[in-house]
Amino acid sequence: MSEILQQITTAVMQGKKDEIAQIAQQAIDEGSGAEDILYKGLMPGMDYVSVEFKAGRVFVPEVMRSARAMLNVMEVIKPLMVEKGISMVGKVLLGTVKGDLHDIGKNLVGMMCEGAGFEVRNLGINVEPEKFVEAVKEFEPDIVGMSALLTTTMRSMGDTVKALEEAGVRDRVQIMIGGAPVSQAFADKIGVAYAPDAAAAADKAKELIANSR
Amino acid sequence: MMVNRHNYDVNATPTFRVLSEDQIEAIYYASLRVLYETGVRVYDSEGVDVAQSGGAIVEDTTEKSSLVKVPHYMVDKARATVPSKVVVIGPDRKHRMELYKNQIYYGGGSDTPYTIDPYTGERRRSTYNDVKNCARIAQALPNYDFHMSLGITQDTAVGTYDRWQYLAMLEGTSKPINITAVDIEGVRDQLEMAYIRVGGKEEWRKGPIFTLYIEPVSPLSHSQEVIQKLLFCCDNHIPFVYTPCPLAGATAPTTLAGLLVQALAESLFGIVLSQLRNPGAQIIIGGLMSNMDMLSTIYSYGSPEMALLSAAYTDITKWLRVPEYETAGCSDAKLFDEQAAMEGAINIATSGLIGGNMIHDVGYLDSGLTSCPELMVASDEMIDMVKRILQGIPVTPEAMALDVMEQVGPGGHFMEHDHTYERFKTEIWRPKLIDRQNWENWNMAGGKRYGERVHDRVVEILEAETEPLLDDAMYQELRRVCELADARHKDEELDVKMFV
Repeated sequence: MSEILQQITTAVMQGKKDEIAQIAQQAIDEGSGAEDILYKGLMPGMDYVSVEFKAGRVFVPEVMRSARAMLNVMEVIKPLMVEKGISMVGKVLLGTVKGDLHDIGKNLVGMMCEGAGFEVRNLGINVEPEKFVEAVKEFEPDIVGMSALLTTTMRSMGDTVKALEEAGVRDRVQIMIGGAPVSQAFADKIGVAYAPDAAAAADKAKELIANSR
Repeated sequence: MMVNRHNYDVNATPTFRVLSEDQIEAIYYASLRVLYETGVRVYDSEGVDVAQSGGAIVEDTTEKSSLVKVPHYMVDKARATVPSKVVVIGPDRKHRMELYKNQIYYGGGSDTPYTIDPYTGERRRSTYNDVKNCARIAQALPNYDFHMSLGITQDTAVGTYDRWQYLAMLEGTSKPINITAVDIEGVRDQLEMAYIRVGGKEEWRKGPIFTLYIEPVSPLSHSQEVIQKLLFCCDNHIPFVYTPCPLAGATAPTTLAGLLVQALAESLFGIVLSQLRNPGAQIIIGGLMSNMDMLSTIYSYGSPEMALLSAAYTDITKWLRVPEYETAGCSDAKLFDEQAAMEGAINIATSGLIGGNMIHDVGYLDSGLTSCPELMVASDEMIDMVKRILQGIPVTPEAMALDVMEQVGPGGHFMEHDHTYERFKTEIWRPKLIDRQNWENWNMAGGKRYGERVHDRVVEILEAETEPLLDDAMYQELRRVCELADARHKDEELDVKMFV
């Protein structure tokens, strides 16, 4: 059984996004549980990719492909996880704040978080504070991630935090922000966490989860 | 579908051009007039005889020299036999230079009196060990195609240091080397060493492992030593670099066109003499042209005129179809500082874009007086960037990626597409020491300036364990040539401290 999990790990590392679903199905047929596939097959592969990426030996398109491989397996094992009540590492709600149409950095964060074992809901771009509030109530994320590329839209981050406070849901979530003009100092000012890039965002998400539990 | 270009890709290397064909011809025919009417002064009777027997007019002969005037047809005749391609292959038989039109190769510069100590940063006299270390660095850097000493071995005897210097280089690198020699005897000894290194004279003929650096004196003077070296090379199948170093405003007209005419006349005389001696003799013409700085009087290695003249001369040699010696990667800065990086980047880019052949002096500071391992390492990365630019942009239906754009559509992203995954490594250049991290990660990694990272890399190369390139028996045999030379010269005043 551990051999097939090892195969899944290797397939994630190598970004075998097409072959991997079949390997996962075989694992299930041979009696592997969804929890083992997730935590002993997929996650070690993504952990490896993440370390290699930070060391500069693996590049964005390769990380994307590994993450896609993992997500393809998630499709297969999701029904089993629901059935057994197995949860992911945590839930992340993402969006680019109101007034800002920049998409790519936030999508990178989403992929990195998925690779780190989070369930991610991506609200897209130009997301109004009220939309964040609604989604927090409905999706019940552990973490809300906000992105902005423009100095002019950074203030929407503050507005969103305020909206979450006014709706009484601020305390249910951890908030983190990122984007080129954003800094630790700004994050401190509005009382949220900060990550300087996508890989750091996934790490920060894990750290926030660990601290809150 | 581009119907009229149906069967091939549209792929072009970006090129730079300084002189038009008409301008090149004007310079060429002007230099023929200089050779015929002004003449060149030759300080070697054997060289004068060779020229005269080929049809040159000899005048104004003194005890030491003659004025030699070369009619046009002699140049035409020489151009018919001078090789358009010269090949030099390192002793490992892997590293090679195929010198002909538009083939770029970068390498160091010769005999600097000083070097920047890689550990202390101090400028001091160079030694055997420094020369060996620079060769080891050149060996480790992928964009160094050939090597020159980048230091004089000043802890060896003055009259025979060239052999020791060659030995130090052979210890450090298996790439082609452009050597210097004290005199003919020095060339002979180093040729013997090369035979030993490569496995005999026949192996040498299959691919010479060094070229000899020969420098006629501007304006229009060819010393006895220079002519003797030229003739020896012609007789012994040694490719050689014949490079005058005219200085605009001092040893050549201050106008750059005038300097080019003079430099070409100086080089053409080398071509004529070499082809008279041995048709097919392998000559590379060049190569170092600049202006005198009119305040400091130094020979400027970092000026825009240096880069421009080198590029213009490349245009001329491409038209002539003779391999060329070119200059870049050098600076007038005293240390590896911002000025060094700036001047080096400008002349490295210019020399690459013009398509110079044997581009030397990479790693020179202080107007050619000081070598610098850090500039060597930084230049390697600059050359790498220039080579990426020279790859140009292949324009093919596949590269224009219309289907990919269609699939991704407005507002999507390309990071996850197979088209990206399959091509990003070959399409997009990746830096080695250049930093592209965000501030936080850069800061976390130590917040080092480029110069500090370059310094770390120099130390890393020097401290890496590498297999010796020479086995003990070969090293002893090569060393014996050096020691025998010392013994032959033992009665001369071999003041080891003369340099120091």
